[in-house]
Amino acid sequence: MQLGEFEYLMLTSVARLGEGAYGVTIREEIEDATGRPCSLGALYTTIERLESKGLVKTSMGDPTPQRGGRPKRMVRITPKGAQAASEFYNAVMRVSRGVAWSASK
Amino acid sequence: MKVPVMTRLCWWMVDGLSRLLDDDEREVVRGDLAECRTGAGRGLREVVGLVVRRQAVLWCEWRPWFILASVVIPIGLLLSYATRSWGGTSGTYISIYWRFWDFSYLAVPGWRRDVIDLAVRIGSECLALVGWSWTCGFVLGRVSRRTVWPTVLMFAVVVFFGTMGTVVAGEPRGNPSLQYHVVFVVLPRFFRTFLVVLPAAWGAYRGRQASSLPLGPTVLAVVVLAGATFLVSQGLERSLVFGGLVPPDPGPDGFLVSADDPRPLWFLSFVMMWPGAYVLVTAARQRLRERTAVAR
Repeated sequence: MQLGEFEYLMLTSVARLGEGAYGVTIREEIEDATGRPCSLGALYTTIERLESKGLVKTSMGDPTPQRGGRPKRMVRITPKGAQAASEFYNAVMRVSRGVAWSASK
Repeated sequence: MKVPVMTRLCWWMVDGLSRLLDDDEREVVRGDLAECRTGAGRGLREVVGLVVRRQAVLWCEWRPWFILASVVIPIGLLLSYATRSWGGTSGTYISIYWRFWDFSYLAVPGWRRDVIDLAVRIGSECLALVGWSWTCGFVLGRVSRRTVWPTVLMFAVVVFFGTMGTVVAGEPRGNPSLQYHVVFVVLPRFFRTFLVVLPAAWGAYRGRQASSLPLGPTVLAVVVLAGATFLVSQGLERSLVFGGLVPPDPGPDGFLVSADDPRPLWFLSFVMMWPGAYVLVTAARQRLRERTAVAR
């Protein structure tokens, strides 16, 4: 299964967050990791794309007062998603072998 | 604490725009914005971004393009020409009667017939505009539910600006009088707003709902609409001919707007009636489905 960079970031965040993975926490995780802002548009369209590929499953969570009584969209990674993320990671590791990146030239 | 006007406006826009999302997604997104205590400006940017992405995906399907090519542009343009022409003509007659009205018009058979003919014509035109627009809106809502409000907006734009850059033959130009303004500017806009765009939005709202239409009243309404279409068909064609799209042809007698004028645009009534036919077929299919379900 071919993954894009953002899809990999999302799968990894969802795997790391486990039961607590939903829109806000995934977004914070990605922003912390990349140092770049993550828009709601990018977040939810990617979640939907991953779900259509069978890499994640989503469900509606319970409403909470801090969300104004609105529900969360809970996300969890599927075995297929874990395998795709693992393959992506291995490919990055293989292609990076022997390459020494320096911050400045 | 008083909330600034711009903030309230932004949240109002967030609320309106988020209605273009699915119900579940709207609730989730609004919940995310509340949980992150996102400001109004950023909240608006976030929702606009999501809506644009969602709409971009939906516009990769054939349905919204079909709607655009079969309803929004052709019928929107025809309605634009018809409302300009009929608004101006009706306004001219109404203003003349308004200024010179005398009840003796009803006592003299010839004058009475003129008044009745005018009332029937204006009534038929209004009925046809509302019927065509409602059925168009219904098609927009039923065929492409998730892009319905952007397509209704495009429909409104075509109706309001479709005649831009064209003039009506014989219309007095450059006359600054109030009467001219009311008849040739205000009335067409009134027709476009209240007899076209609002009924179309109502039809779109109804078409988006899954509930069925009652077959009997639907058949009756479509028959009435077909009758009104028949009565105003020549007026519809003339609105284009004298609106600058097709040059007028007086026919063998040499006089414009007489019975022998050729009608190269005779098929336009069928174009206007196809959404009505769609509404009828939809109601009949739903009725058939309900009967089949009951029989099982």
